[in-house]
Amino acid sequence: MNKKISTSIKRVDAGIKTGGAARYIGDIPFDGLLYGKIVRSSRARATIKSVSVPALPEGYYYIDAKDIPSGGRNRIEMIKDDWPVFADEQVRFIGETLGLLVGPDRKELNRLRDEVQVEYEDLTPVFSIEESEALKGGPIHGEDNTYADYRLKKGDPDAAFAKAARVIEDTVRTGFQEHIYMEPQGVVARTEDDGKLGIFFSGQCPFYVRHAVSATMGVPEDQVRVQQAVTGGAFGGKEHYPDVISTPLAVAARKIGKPIGLFFDRVEDISFTPKRHPSVTRFKTALDEEGNILGMDIDVRIDAGAYESCSMVVLQRAIFSVNSVYNIPNVKIRGRAFATNNVPSDAYRGFGAPQGLFAIEAHMSHLARAIKVDELKLKQQYLLKQGDVTVTNGRIHEEVKLPEIIQRIDEMSGYSKKLKEYTPGSWKGVGVSLFNHGSGFTGNGEQEIIKGVVKMRKRADGLVDLLVSNVEMGQGLQTTFRKIAAMVLELPVDSVVYNDPNTDLVPDSGPTCASRSIAVVGYLVQEAAKKLKDRWKESDIVEVRQQYEPPEGLIPWDQANLQGDAYPSYGWGANVIEVEVDPLTYEVTTKGIWAVHDVGVAIDEKVVEGQVDGGIIQALGYGSLEKLEVKEGRFQQKTMADYTIPTTMDFPKIKSALVDNPYEYGPFGAKGAGELVFDGAAAAFADAVQMAINGDVKQIPVTPEYIMEVREDGNN
Amino acid sequence: MVDSYRPLSLKEALDLRADTGAMPFAGGTDLMVRYRYESGAIPDYPRPVMFVNQLDDLRKIRRIDHGLSIGAAVTMTEVLDHDDVPEILKEALLTIAAPGLRNTATIAGNICNASPAGDSICALYALDAGVKLQSPGGERIEPIYQFITGPGKIDLHADEILTEIIIPEDHSTIHLFKKVGTRRANALSKLTLSAVARISDSRIDEIRIAIGAVAPTVVRSLELEKRMEGRSLKEVALEAEDILRDYDALVQPIDDQRSTAVYRKRVAMNLVRHFLLGVVLQQKGA
Amino acid sequence: MATINFSVNGTSHAIDTDPLRRLLDILREDLKLTGVKEGCGEGECGACSVLKNGILVNSCMIPIGTCEGTEIITPEGLRETVQGKAIIDAYGESGAVQCGFCTPGMMMATEALLRKNPSPSEGEAREALSGNLCRCTGYDMIIDGVLKAAERGKGLW
Repeated sequence: MNKKISTSIKRVDAGIKTGGAARYIGDIPFDGLLYGKIVRSSRARATIKSVSVPALPEGYYYIDAKDIPSGGRNRIEMIKDDWPVFADEQVRFIGETLGLLVGPDRKELNRLRDEVQVEYEDLTPVFSIEESEALKGGPIHGEDNTYADYRLKKGDPDAAFAKAARVIEDTVRTGFQEHIYMEPQGVVARTEDDGKLGIFFSGQCPFYVRHAVSATMGVPEDQVRVQQAVTGGAFGGKEHYPDVISTPLAVAARKIGKPIGLFFDRVEDISFTPKRHPSVTRFKTALDEEGNILGMDIDVRIDAGAYESCSMVVLQRAIFSVNSVYNIPNVKIRGRAFATNNVPSDAYRGFGAPQGLFAIEAHMSHLARAIKVDELKLKQQYLLKQGDVTVTNGRIHEEVKLPEIIQRIDEMSGYSKKLKEYTPGSWKGVGVSLFNHGSGFTGNGEQEIIKGVVKMRKRADGLVDLLVSNVEMGQGLQTTFRKIAAMVLELPVDSVVYNDPNTDLVPDSGPTCASRSIAVVGYLVQEAAKKLKDRWKESDIVEVRQQYEPPEGLIPWDQANLQGDAYPSYGWGANVIEVEVDPLTYEVTTKGIWAVHDVGVAIDEKVVEGQVDGGIIQALGYGSLEKLEVKEGRFQQKTMADYTIPTTMDFPKIKSALVDNPYEYGPFGAKGAGELVFDGAAAAFADAVQMAINGDVKQIPVTPEYIMEVREDGNN
Repeated sequence: MVDSYRPLSLKEALDLRADTGAMPFAGGTDLMVRYRYESGAIPDYPRPVMFVNQLDDLRKIRRIDHGLSIGAAVTMTEVLDHDDVPEILKEALLTIAAPGLRNTATIAGNICNASPAGDSICALYALDAGVKLQSPGGERIEPIYQFITGPGKIDLHADEILTEIIIPEDHSTIHLFKKVGTRRANALSKLTLSAVARISDSRIDEIRIAIGAVAPTVVRSLELEKRMEGRSLKEVALEAEDILRDYDALVQPIDDQRSTAVYRKRVAMNLVRHFLLGVVLQQKGA
Repeated sequence: MATINFSVNGTSHAIDTDPLRRLLDILREDLKLTGVKEGCGEGECGACSVLKNGILVNSCMIPIGTCEGTEIITPEGLRETVQGKAIIDAYGESGAVQCGFCTPGMMMATEALLRKNPSPSEGEAREALSGNLCRCTGYDMIIDGVLKAAERGKGLW
């Protein structure tokens, strides 16, 4: 381990945040600020016949598609542009934006909103993958309701199935998950003194917002200035959604000429903002006489909701993850993202990988139970190694340290010992999961779409400006980016100036997502710092620029066929979880949590440990507590009382360790960490519960209600 | 917008209540949630509001003949900190929300909110508690199981204020409180069991079993309790399955956003069975 | 409308307002004390925690009409005290802060705990902060921060 870079320093933003001095979007004073309130569809699928707005008092406005300037478009340009800024003829989900009421008093806005009369002609909505696939009510999208339909093949799966002694079928399901960033969504738009449109927002991707707003407004991108405010958590929930609310707000701000803030109430946030995609994964696994896996046939379906947004990319990661750390010789994978009339699903920490990884881990454990072999031994038989072929027929280029990771976690947790001690079905159990996560954009996204740029400037006062568009959102970037630059430049950390990005001042280094900030942009920071160091003495002010280039030696990516190296490098990990189940109430007490990860090299051990702790607890929420049911297109748990994230009391202290494995193209050897640490805990939890109750656990969240069902009624 | 009042004496409060029909507001934590509007807006109270949390007359916990009186404005934290409060009530209160909310919330408010999932309410049923209701014309005391008439429904007259909670002396020798919540802290109930019994010489002198969130109001059967009281553990053991079957008939839960009817039913009966067979009948001399 | 007399962080205020407005809104909007955050508006998340007469409360659950004559401490007030500084330092060293939106509320809950119990166990610290939700940290480092503040600040509470 590179001790120097990994040794923790005090987070640069800790003091200002703890004392309440940090300014989040709702804390920034704007003179004469008006408030916006979205008028939303109450129907899941309907044609809009008419919208009748009540008489508005002086100083109140109703904004809709008619107010989009000529040259602009009523479309939100995200990865896809199918989502309209204002619903035009049809609505596709409950909560879709019809218009925006603007005025000075929030209660009055609420009253006016409740008085807007909309006449609908209802169509038949679909609320599940199954209904979508059956084309209930006719297709919502295209001819078959799929936004994407991918097929992958590795080896010769048909031959494998032809010689199988036994085929085991299994279906695994995962549910919605709500982000519950502690700070709800918020955006402010105004016309700036220089005539530009100014957008201030809580979120991850300033240039995404700039792009979407400029397209909607029909103005050049440099006529929109986006400033990130201190952001109170995001987890993917503020990757694209800020585009959805910035665009109508920009239309309103331009028309009305005053600053307008749109701040979500928590109930509104839970009810109408995107969630993690629910999934259904069906496995057919071919085994020979001895129980060796010959091949797998896997069908992954995800509920993408009412608009596509980024769902096809989520689906790509889901299917690339569904063989996880295993080298299954012959595999056939189909993946489909289905349109439904649920709230659009979108980015959430892991971006499809948690669904794929949970599915394969659950399936491997079910296989082990079915053929009565030790689960970890079965998994170890198929571990990927350096040089192995992936499901996209790419290669694993790095050394895979899973054997070391597994040995380490076994020592820490006593997994093997406990496995022998506890009898399945005795209400005590221990579970394990293995997982990996590709760092950065999928496929050739980094070089073809993002083309990230970092700038660094030596100032006359001797300080260094770090100019990047990636944001601090809790993950520690304010600290880690500065450390990388400072360490290369051999300067104190506080000599590096890195402000919350403003699109007028920083280059587009790409969005803050996909575990790319350290792995990809952090490397650009390191390389820029090296350049600057070389040129330090040139003059008082020196500016350098560094653009992304793909690492050498990769198998080129074929986007049409999804073939080649999907990711240049991976983080790797293992989790062990120990539980006890209450035989009277089926409630689970988690007795222990262990984690070992390979993130290359930690840029700051404490920051990485914080990611590990937070990722695991969020994943345990996903795996056990966070039930989010949709009924007729409405989420049933829409308050923080009913949608239950973990508290201080739900889980015990986590014991974690890192395995050093420097990556050549990462800063100081670092790889991505932010999503990897989310990927394994739900599966380890489910595995532990299934040992405790001696029944196959096939879905998350593993609620007491579900445990009762499996234990008392069986589900096999 | 509605009016609000801040009376300085109980008498003034009673007069205001009679004159204006204002809603008494003690801790207000249930009212603030029930009438919550959206962020930044005043809650949407349907009637005038009268703050009573400052009234000294309602802020006392005192011993009374054969029991304890808890003033309507005493916070849950204050109840928890008091030595004379029965253990089962403290256990119930500790499962409600979190310290910050318990510093504001009151038991009286919990009762008037009359949620079938109210955790303190369930314990109060098991303690055979009553409520004192005062009006300018006088006062009455009602057992809690009569005061609460349905989900969110209470037998409070238009001129009355709930002023005290009366808890008879707790002579139980054993008790069991179990809340099955949506998580381990800061949780709402899926269901709750509160049960107490007094056993001497292998005989059940007293037994009260209350089950919350499995019917429109907390389930408690005086009839089934009478069937067990005054009888030996041996006799009750012979009838235990019959008694459990009768409890089973009373447990009629629903599906909602927190749990399922099937789960509530089974777990409620697991807990009643555990209390009866695993706790009561296991007492010495059974 | 009524005039509410109360003190915030040691300064007296007389505010003419509807007594049914939430303390949270008075603090954030009228007094610009934006260290108090709104995370849920229903007493679940603790981001709006303040001390009212030394007792931890959720300011989203408190009508200003019930604050007559009370003393309110917000994060802005606490951070200027030696106790507040000790908590801030301990949080910083423990890695307790990530996005920071819950953290001022966590600091208030920590202060309330240490006033009542200056040397809490891990379990007591977890119980005391159970009404303060955090989505980033998984809580372990926040609990470390509470225990570190207690240890370092011995004698302050």
